[in-house]
Amino acid sequence: MPMIEAHQLTKRFGERTAVEALTLEVEEGEILGLLGPNGAGKTTTIRMLTGIIAPTSGYAVVAGRRTDRDVEELHELIGLLPEAPGFYERLSAQRNLEYFAGFYSNFDVRAQVDKYLKLMGLWERRSDRVGTFSKGMKQRLALARALVHEPKVLFLDEPTAGLDPEAAREVRELISQLREGGRTILLSTHNLSEAEELCDRIAVLRTRLIALEAPEDLCRRLFRRRVVVRLESVDSAIIEAVKGLDFVESLERDGDRLIVELADPERERPELIRRLVEAGGRVLEVSEERHSLEEVYLSLVREEEGEKERR
Amino acid sequence: MTRRRVLNVLRKEWAVMATSLNNTLFVTLLPLLITAQALLFVWLIPGFAGESVLESPLLQGALEKLRMALPSLAKLPAEEQFQVFLLSQFNFYLLLIPVMIAIGFATFSIVEEKQTRTLEPLLATPVRTWELLFGKALSGAIPALFITWTCAGIFLLAAVGLGWGPLLEFILTPSWLITLFLLTPAVALLSFLLGVVGSSRAADPKSAQNIAVVVVLPVLALIGAQVAGLVWFTPPLTLALALGIGVIDLLMLGVAVRLFRRETIVVGWR
Repeated sequence: MPMIEAHQLTKRFGERTAVEALTLEVEEGEILGLLGPNGAGKTTTIRMLTGIIAPTSGYAVVAGRRTDRDVEELHELIGLLPEAPGFYERLSAQRNLEYFAGFYSNFDVRAQVDKYLKLMGLWERRSDRVGTFSKGMKQRLALARALVHEPKVLFLDEPTAGLDPEAAREVRELISQLREGGRTILLSTHNLSEAEELCDRIAVLRTRLIALEAPEDLCRRLFRRRVVVRLESVDSAIIEAVKGLDFVESLERDGDRLIVELADPERERPELIRRLVEAGGRVLEVSEERHSLEEVYLSLVREEEGEKERR
Repeated sequence: MTRRRVLNVLRKEWAVMATSLNNTLFVTLLPLLITAQALLFVWLIPGFAGESVLESPLLQGALEKLRMALPSLAKLPAEEQFQVFLLSQFNFYLLLIPVMIAIGFATFSIVEEKQTRTLEPLLATPVRTWELLFGKALSGAIPALFITWTCAGIFLLAAVGLGWGPLLEFILTPSWLITLFLLTPAVALLSFLLGVVGSSRAADPKSAQNIAVVVVLPVLALIGAQVAGLVWFTPPLTLALALGIGVIDLLMLGVAVRLFRRETIVVGWR
C-alpha cells in the first residue's frame, strides 16, 4: 500500500511554477530520495506533502489522509525535519521537545521525549539551552522532534546539509536505523552518495519529475554496461578474437585492460572470457565498470537542460 | 485536546519570556513608569495650573458631567473636585499598560518564530492556527492583566499616601471597577490580537508594532473625550464598552486566524 501518493501535484507562486504535475508513489517502508538542483522544487514538494502549504492543483494522499483536507489527522501521522532545524534557542533541549510533542494526542510525552533524547545521544545535554548546541546536535534534536510521536511517514529535508563529515555520518546512521524500523521516508538531499547509500529509489526533480527509479536501474538505463577485463598482457590476437564476437558493441584498450561494452553482460560475459582464454589471454580480473549516482544525476539534469533549451 | 494545546503554547511562551531580561524589564518597569507618571501629573497639575484653571469652560463642562455621575461630589470644594476629576482619568490611562505590554509581547512572539525558523516545524504538528494564536494571545494578556491590577493597587495606595485618601470614595466607583475587571481584559486581548495580526504581516518587530500600535489611539481618544467633557463613562456606558470590545475580540480572533497566512510566513520569511 502506498504511504505517499502525489497526483499531478502542482504549485505556482505567482508567475513562477515551483512544482509541475508531480505524480509519484512511495510504498510503506520505502526510502525515496528526492534529488534536484537548488530551486528544483524539493522543499515545496515536502511542504505540500506535509500539508503546510496547499497545492495550486492536483492532490496528495499521505498515510491515507488528503494533505489539503485532513491536515490535523495527517499531522498526527507524519514527522518533519525541515531545512532549518528551528528551535527556541533560549530553552533547553528537553523543553523544546516537550513543547512540540505536547501537540500530539494519545502518548506519554515525558517518556517519549526521554526515549529520543537518549537515542539521539543528547540525554547528558538535555537541560542545556539549544543555543549552545553545535549544528550536528541541533540536527539530531530536530530528528528527535520529527520522531517523538512515532510517525508512520517521515519527511527529511536536507538532513545533513551544513554538517561536518562526522556529524553527517552520525545522522546518516540514525536514518539507516529508521529504515530498520520500517518507516516510510522521503529524503530530500543534495548529497548523492547519501542518496545512494540510504535510498531504495530516487526521484530526480527539476520543477517536474525527470526520473523515478532505483539508483542501479537508472545507471543501467542511462549508461551502456561495460565489462573490464585485466589480462597479463594484451596482443593483437586477443583483440581480434574479441572483435570477432558479434555481441560486442564496442572495445577499448587501456594498457593491459580491455573495456568491452555488452548489451547483456550476465549472458555474454562467460562467452567473452572463454574466447579470451582460447586466444591465449591470461585473465587476471573481471569487473563491471560502475557509474556513480553523481554521473547519473548530472547526465539526467544536463539532458533535461538540453530538452528545455530545445523547447 | 484544544485546552491542552492552548496551555502548551501558553507555558512555552512564558518559559521563553522568563529567559529574557529585556522582557522582564519591559513588563515590570514600563507599567511602574506609567503609574508613577500618572501620580506625578495629578500631583503637579493643580500646582502648575493655578486657580485660574478651575474657571476654564472646558473643565467646567467636564466637571459638570462628573457631578451628574456623582452628585455627592458637589459638596466638595472646587480644588478637590478637580483632584477627583484628575484621579478619575487614571482608569482609562491604566488601559495603556495592557495595550503596550500585549502589543510588545504579541509582536515579539510571532516575529521570534520567524527569526528562529520554528514556525515550519510547528505548523507540521496537529496544532490549529486559532489554538496557536489564542495561546499566544493569552500568554500576553494574562500577565498584562495582573500587572495592570497591581499598578491599580499601587496607584490607590500612593493616592492614600499623598493625602488623597478621603477622595477615593469618588474614584473607586462601579465604573472604575468595570474598567479594571472587564474592560482591561477585553482591551488586553484586543491589543494582543492586533499585535499578532501586525506581526503576521510584518517582516520585523518594529514594523509589527507600528501596525499594532493603532489600538493605542482609541484608548487615547477615550481619555480625550472624557477630559474634554464630551462624555463621562457611567457604569452602564463602561459596561457596554467592555462588552462591545469583548465581541470585537472574538471577531478579531477570526480575523487574526484568516490573516495568519501560513504559506506567506513559511515560504516568504527568510
